[in-house]
Amino acid sequence: MRSNSRTAPRCASTSPDPVTLSPEPLPSRSTGFRTKLLVAMMLVVSAVTGLGLFIAERNLAAGVERNLEREFQAELAALNQAQAIRSASLEERCRALVRKPRIHASLEDDALDRLYPSAQDELRDIMARSNEHVGAGLHARFYRFLDRNGGVVEPPENARDAGALTSAETKSLALPRLSDQPQLGYLPPSDGGTLTEIITTPIFSTEHGEVIAALVLGFKPLVGETAGPGGTKRALWLAETTYSTPFGSSQATASAADVMRAVATPLRVFIHDVPHLLFSKHLNPASLYPSVYEVCVYPLTDLIDRQWTLRWQALGAGALVFFVGLVVSHFFSRRLSAPVEKLAVDSAENRAQRVRAEAALEHTHEELQRSARFSADASHQLKTPVTVLRAGLEELLARENLTSEECQQLSALVHQTYRLSSVIEDLLLLSRMDAGRLKLDFSAVDLSQLIEASLDDLSAVPDATELAVETDFPAALHISGEKRYTSLILQNLLENARKYNLPGGRVRVAARTEGQQVILAVANTGRPIPGAAQSHIFERFHRGGMGENVPGYGLGLNLARELARLHGGDLRLARSDETWTEFEVSFRLASV
Amino acid sequence: MNFFRAFPPGFLLVAMPAMALAQVTVEGRVALPKTASAPVLNQRYEIVSKGGIVATNPPLAVVFLAGDFPKPATQPVTQLVQKELTFIPALLPVQIGTRVEFPNLDDQYHNIFSYSPAKRFDLGRYRPDERPIPSQTFDVAGLVTLRCDIHEHMRGVVLVLDTPHFVMTDATGNFRLTGLPPGRYLLRAWLDSKTTKEHAVELKDGATLRVDFP
Repeated sequence: MRSNSRTAPRCASTSPDPVTLSPEPLPSRSTGFRTKLLVAMMLVVSAVTGLGLFIAERNLAAGVERNLEREFQAELAALNQAQAIRSASLEERCRALVRKPRIHASLEDDALDRLYPSAQDELRDIMARSNEHVGAGLHARFYRFLDRNGGVVEPPENARDAGALTSAETKSLALPRLSDQPQLGYLPPSDGGTLTEIITTPIFSTEHGEVIAALVLGFKPLVGETAGPGGTKRALWLAETTYSTPFGSSQATASAADVMRAVATPLRVFIHDVPHLLFSKHLNPASLYPSVYEVCVYPLTDLIDRQWTLRWQALGAGALVFFVGLVVSHFFSRRLSAPVEKLAVDSAENRAQRVRAEAALEHTHEELQRSARFSADASHQLKTPVTVLRAGLEELLARENLTSEECQQLSALVHQTYRLSSVIEDLLLLSRMDAGRLKLDFSAVDLSQLIEASLDDLSAVPDATELAVETDFPAALHISGEKRYTSLILQNLLENARKYNLPGGRVRVAARTEGQQVILAVANTGRPIPGAAQSHIFERFHRGGMGENVPGYGLGLNLARELARLHGGDLRLARSDETWTEFEVSFRLASV
Repeated sequence: MNFFRAFPPGFLLVAMPAMALAQVTVEGRVALPKTASAPVLNQRYEIVSKGGIVATNPPLAVVFLAGDFPKPATQPVTQLVQKELTFIPALLPVQIGTRVEFPNLDDQYHNIFSYSPAKRFDLGRYRPDERPIPSQTFDVAGLVTLRCDIHEHMRGVVLVLDTPHFVMTDATGNFRLTGLPPGRYLLRAWLDSKTTKEHAVELKDGATLRVDFP
């Protein structure tokens, strides 16, 4: 990583000579890549670890809280069930009591004076003995009857067992009307003691089935300020009289609104700055008596401890994962960067090679230019002396005092000067093409006409008269080219066809259109070109092992091919076997 | 009249048809309230209370002659049995001063009591073999509702009347009251605890009077 900054300046410096490219910047560049990869992987690892930690922390905390809540709910449900069973049993007992014939008789047969004495007998079992401790069992502390309007029927003076009540307590037993359902209520204590649970059971007339009275029984409630398992504290909360049983100092923080809200969902409250979970349950939802809530608080210290432990564990695990991630990413960045480094080295080498090749190419190009210039210059320089030489020789030939032998020799020399100037012409043309100085002036050329003219020229050659010429081309076939050079191609091919033919052989010239191309095929009979020579026939000064008896200097095919290429086409050997040797040249169809 | 006083009312009820010729007879029909239940043979009569009104079901009426009649020389005695967890008869009309015995014909305990103002009593629990048979004398005219402390559904009614001349109608409401002394009286028909119809009658010796209570 550090090597990067150290070698960075070197990397920036470029060598003045591209051919001798310095290999030094390579490691620095690949090290940079490795560093970047490592940093990127570290970032990914950190992000993933962080995200994982975040999610894990949230899930774990929520899970613990859910578990705790479930535990708490289960605990609460068990208690509630016990309570429900007790209250069901109490209600059933009350219902059995109010069915007692004597009580009915007292109410229905105009014998109210017999009500409490009868009840005294009937309720003996359910009433707690005065001398025994009133536990939270099934024994009642007092009983009273309500008349059909909900008012309290006072017991006679001598009624023992009915249980003593203060006038305030008596008053709060009364109901605005009687209900046909048992009513659950709670009496606030007059002397700061505990609440009294009251169950008011309607008494139905056996005559007409209507509620004619009600029996009120007061019990010590099962729910006191008891501490359940797990530190749960429970208490009763009488809403309308704002009575709360001693509950630590929870009522200081758990407001009435809190209790109401905690009925639906558990609520978090702070008691002595310790978070507690607050649940409350409406004990007498449909009752005509004031609403009473059972309030449970559960200290969350345990939960918070557990959450902290989990958080630390998660953090530890996260750190471990992070460390492992770092190691792994380091390893992987090394592994992954190795091929890239190799690639970088290779590409640097490639570049150096390319630069070298380009330089060589440039060099070659210059050489080529120089040679082309040289051959052009040479051709020009040669043309004039050859013309002078020929003029001199023809002048000598014109003399009359020459012997026939001298005359023959001079003629041969003149012929040689023609041949020399022809070679010089071709070389000049080639050198112009090599130098890229030959530009064709394209126009539509009537190839058919051109072929016919060339064949006419051919027939003018003395030994060509023995050849049979076959033609197959449509009339007025126009190609794109410059007539001079197109004609040259054609002449060269026909010249070849004539030169390399058998005595009395055949020549075939055909032309056809193929898409946007025109293919011209020139074939002749004669000895086939050997396979090994076929790839060399387009080279300059190659004569394909032909005997010296065939005139030519090995420039014709090369020239024809170069010209065909300048025309936008090509020249190739189509076939060469015992019957035919055929060349095909392609042209572009003229867009007439 | 003196002759009749010598007999207890229970006997009187039984003996009356035999002596009808010599006495005034009143017969007629009391329009009984319609009942929803289909008439069946051997139907038991039970006391029902509906809207605070005690009556029998199916409906029956007690027709009696109201007037100033001398008390019987000997105390009339009659029985109201408890059988198959019901009172039989469910409605028992008696003359004031009658002693009613309550034999228990079930093989279990019964505890008859009444909180009715006309007669409050409590016989306590007793078994079928209780001897003497627990009884009560009814000295005040009125309706006495009998209950059993053990069987809360049991209901019986003793209708204490200040007259020896009474009869229960049959299921269709027909009645025949015989052996009546001549004179002007009020003939009453008790239908339930809240309904008593009355009709002024003048009884002439040897005649048979037809009185219908619509």
